[in-house]
Amino acid sequence: MSESPTQHVDLANLTAAIERAAVDLTLAEEPSRFIAALEEAAGEREGQR
Amino acid sequence: MTDLTLEELAGAIRQRKISVVEATEDCLAGIRRLDGRLRTFITPDPEGALRKARELDTEAVAGRWRGPLHGVPLGFKDLCHLAGLPTSCGTRTKEYFATPHDCTAASRLVAAGAVTLGKLNMTELAMGPFGDNAHHGHVQNPWRDGHIAGGSSSGSGAAVAAGLVMGALGSDTGGSIRLPAACCGVVGLKPTYGRVSRAGVMPLSWSNDHIGPLARTVRDAAIMLQIIAGSDPHDATSSHRAVPDYLAGIEARIAGLRVAVPENFFFEGVDPVVASSVRDAARTLAGLGARVEVMQLPDPQTMNDVCNVISRCEGAAVHARLYRERPDEIQPVVRARLALGFHISAHDYLQALRLRAKLTREFVRDVFAKADVLAAPVFPEPAPALSHAIEGLPEELARRQGRFSRLTRPFNGLGLPALAVPCGFSAAGLPLAFQIVGRPFDEATVMRVGRAYEEAAGWYRRRPSSSV
Repeated sequence: MSESPTQHVDLANLTAAIERAAVDLTLAEEPSRFIAALEEAAGEREGQR
Repeated sequence: MTDLTLEELAGAIRQRKISVVEATEDCLAGIRRLDGRLRTFITPDPEGALRKARELDTEAVAGRWRGPLHGVPLGFKDLCHLAGLPTSCGTRTKEYFATPHDCTAASRLVAAGAVTLGKLNMTELAMGPFGDNAHHGHVQNPWRDGHIAGGSSSGSGAAVAAGLVMGALGSDTGGSIRLPAACCGVVGLKPTYGRVSRAGVMPLSWSNDHIGPLARTVRDAAIMLQIIAGSDPHDATSSHRAVPDYLAGIEARIAGLRVAVPENFFFEGVDPVVASSVRDAARTLAGLGARVEVMQLPDPQTMNDVCNVISRCEGAAVHARLYRERPDEIQPVVRARLALGFHISAHDYLQALRLRAKLTREFVRDVFAKADVLAAPVFPEPAPALSHAIEGLPEELARRQGRFSRLTRPFNGLGLPALAVPCGFSAAGLPLAFQIVGRPFDEATVMRVGRAYEEAAGWYRRRPSSSV
């Protein structure tokens, strides 16, 4: 499970990007809201038809 | 039979113009003739296919029809578990993946009358967009020898393009249905997350995995989706939402529909021939009455980063035993990609999952308030030469793989339906394609736009030289 130097840099860049983007997450945000986002958007659309 | 679409063949069988045995033998003859070179199958099942074909012919004579695919020969990516056939998942281990339940999507197609021709080649563990496989042979592009077929559902794309199967199932975690479809000049649909059950399919990243059809036409893909879509008690993430009739409105005019062409990200660093083919496709849609506009999208790179973190962590968890106990059996680049997942913290993984929810909500709200679908490139360049695609150190190759799938991966994270449709050919004769992306669970509109385009453009009528 050793990393090469290139992989180490790629990984550091990736996790840094996540850290930056996660700065303004609200306390209420949780993974299951992804499914809710899909279902709600589809439901709203059906309501408009 | 070779020029028939899946829909036309199903009709010809129903009208008794062709028997199931004849249709199956035709495909098997093509496999015998071409697959030594194309390498689309890992486990062909000619005996099983002919046995099933004879059974279906007997039932047809008696007036018993199993469903809309009665007698239609299909192939399944070799990560779909089906009792009686091994599931290697592209690894060296013949029976790498076992599960108590057959793949729900494949089982539904079989229950609708499909004949199983066998299990199709794929990138090892579905990790990689080029379709190379050191264990089972690199899948060749039927349009041009020595070029990649795209991956990871490489056998599915190439077998459909070559006419060895009438349709196929693939899986898509970062583009693995759409990239081989684009490289091979066929249609590939990644449905909405939850639209199609993933039960009985080897997971790579359960948060990003999607199952969907590859077929010659949009109508064929719609027929397959109709059968495989819907909730499944074996997959808790499958949606209970009702499945609409996908063929009912597929021929409806697209006049007035709002098509957004991304201004940012999707055309950056893209080969000019790809960019111009997608813009030409957008002009064709405008000619059909669609309202085409350029749109600035929320930055898709953030979603790519989120997807990468999630996929690497989940992939490492799923395949940890193989990685730890038999590392020498895994190709170096696949091993390198798996390795990263062991070094990402639980904190970063969970932040990525939380970010995904937020980004999806914002993307759907901001983009689909102004557009009905997006039209964007699928890949940054037409299928490159295999020798170029897979050369270099594992780390270099992993970066090259990341660049090739950067235009498809955002829609795995977003969970949105995305359809790859052929939109021309490069000067070298390699297929070009674009993807049509829609609202959650609105595959019907996505396919309606795809169908209008394919009929107007007519690319689907061309066949590669390496075909049945």
